[in-house]
Amino acid sequence: MKKRVLKRGWFSATISYTYLSILGILAAFPLVWIILSAFKSKGEITAYPTRFFPKVFSLEYFDIVLNQLKFTGNIVNSIVIAGATTLIALTISALAAYGIVRFFPRFGKALTRVLITTYMFPPILLAVPYSILMGSLGLVNTRIGLIIMYLSFSVPYAIWLLVGFFKTVPIGIEEAARVDGANKFVVFYKIVLPIVAPGIVAVAIYTFINAWNEFLYALIMTNSRELMTVSVALKSLEGQEVLDWGTMMAASTMVVLPSVIFFMLIQKKIAGGLAAGSVK
Amino acid sequence: MQITNKDLRKKPDITGFLFILPAVLVLFLLLLYPVFTSVYYSFTSKHLVRPSYKFVGFDNYIKVLSDPNFYKAFMTNIKWTVYSLAGQLLVGFTAAMALHRIKKFKSFLRTILIIPWAFPSIVIALSWKWILNGVYGFVPIMLQKLGIVSEIPQFFSNPNLVFGTLVFVNIWFGSPLIMVNILSALQSVPEDQYEAAQIDGASAWQSFCSITVPHIRNVVGLLMVLRTIWIFNSFDIIFLLTGGGPANITTTLPIYAYNIGWGIKQLGRSSAITVLLLIFLLLVCALYFKLLNKWEKEFN
Repeated sequence: MKKRVLKRGWFSATISYTYLSILGILAAFPLVWIILSAFKSKGEITAYPTRFFPKVFSLEYFDIVLNQLKFTGNIVNSIVIAGATTLIALTISALAAYGIVRFFPRFGKALTRVLITTYMFPPILLAVPYSILMGSLGLVNTRIGLIIMYLSFSVPYAIWLLVGFFKTVPIGIEEAARVDGANKFVVFYKIVLPIVAPGIVAVAIYTFINAWNEFLYALIMTNSRELMTVSVALKSLEGQEVLDWGTMMAASTMVVLPSVIFFMLIQKKIAGGLAAGSVK
Repeated sequence: MQITNKDLRKKPDITGFLFILPAVLVLFLLLLYPVFTSVYYSFTSKHLVRPSYKFVGFDNYIKVLSDPNFYKAFMTNIKWTVYSLAGQLLVGFTAAMALHRIKKFKSFLRTILIIPWAFPSIVIALSWKWILNGVYGFVPIMLQKLGIVSEIPQFFSNPNLVFGTLVFVNIWFGSPLIMVNILSALQSVPEDQYEAAQIDGASAWQSFCSITVPHIRNVVGLLMVLRTIWIFNSFDIIFLLTGGGPANITTTLPIYAYNIGWGIKQLGRSSAITVLLLIFLLLVCALYFKLLNKWEKEFN
């Protein structure tokens, strides 16, 4: 009762619900439309007038994507690249975030500035030196090349998010272990990591999604069909002479659904951390 | 033997440094080093394919700064950033206020509203191209059927519509991030301050100005900095939706740099463009931080 009185004015509940419903439809519509289009059959997708729901749920386009276009190979590429990026980035970032919180707390404020500065580097700025560097290292058209490039944005971001989680670990627990003679790495591994595990899992999933979604670096670094990530493979479908929207929507569904579902699972942990962790 | 707080926290010995060493290496090797090489290449005739190149002094910068397309791209970039940022802030902020206001279905609505955030840029592009398609698109056909337009609108090829379409898609994509960050800032405002204001007879508008605004100002400020940079730099959405066209109407600096570097293969000149882009962003950032510091002082 008290709360309701306090929050009165501004937005009345009715206006709020109406507004949020409209925004909700706008936010969800592309996802819904991609999925519905993907399940339509060949004649139906371009029929006029457009039907909202497919007459029959057909798997025709999924069949084309998987069996004719061999999209599975691209999915494997993306999983390997995003998975390796996540594993390496999280190891580096968890160590760094803990090190900053425990041993270099003053460094924290400066770090925020550094991270914002790296955030400022336009991806296109890094694209030029990367493509030259990877060329001279012979890493063009390789998964390793992309993994290295992806660390450049994954590590700063993961540190940023993880610092917030490590700050919540009470120092008393660590002291007890130190008294028992455990060294810093053992304390970190055996005591601190399990406490922040839920946060680490959330950041790991977020890192994975970002690597899975990445486009520009994958575009400039790959030119063979087999080595394309899902993003670039999807883009290449658009380059065909006759645009096959059904195929594109089926492939899009397979790329976007995992991102959306996993993001929904972790959003509460990630969201807000961005601004909250950095302003303090 | 007792280990005090001080021992654990304040003594950065060699082991402590080992924790941050890998991250420092990543920072230097993958971020700072490439930026410096980029500056170096901006003074050379580096080509995308040909291996040999030579030092050309300020040639690239002169070429870029005397190209009218550079200024056109710069203005488009400013316009793109201002409209997108304003739209994202407006939608994100009002949505956060509305979410903060309600109780039922709050979690559900919030989850639905963040969907765009998780979209890969290529799927953002393909889905909107499909929805707004000039022949089969759901929205254009609906608009025509409802009698709002007589001819099916061409959202991506009509020069009068294309820029607005891009900004709309960018607002669609970027608002959720702003929304959740402002929402979490709103939730951090202590309720008792509102109660006190209520007792003192403050109006909703007054308590908004004197309680809510100071609490969320820093978050909004930082979000603005980050979003400005992000939108200014953004490449994917424009590249994938229009490729900078039609007739370069939607070419921003990152697209322009890409066209020079990968279109006509002049990596040296492309580097010069991106270095100019970075210098501009550094200036904007310095200005923002000055403003933020001023706000912080006023607040405390």
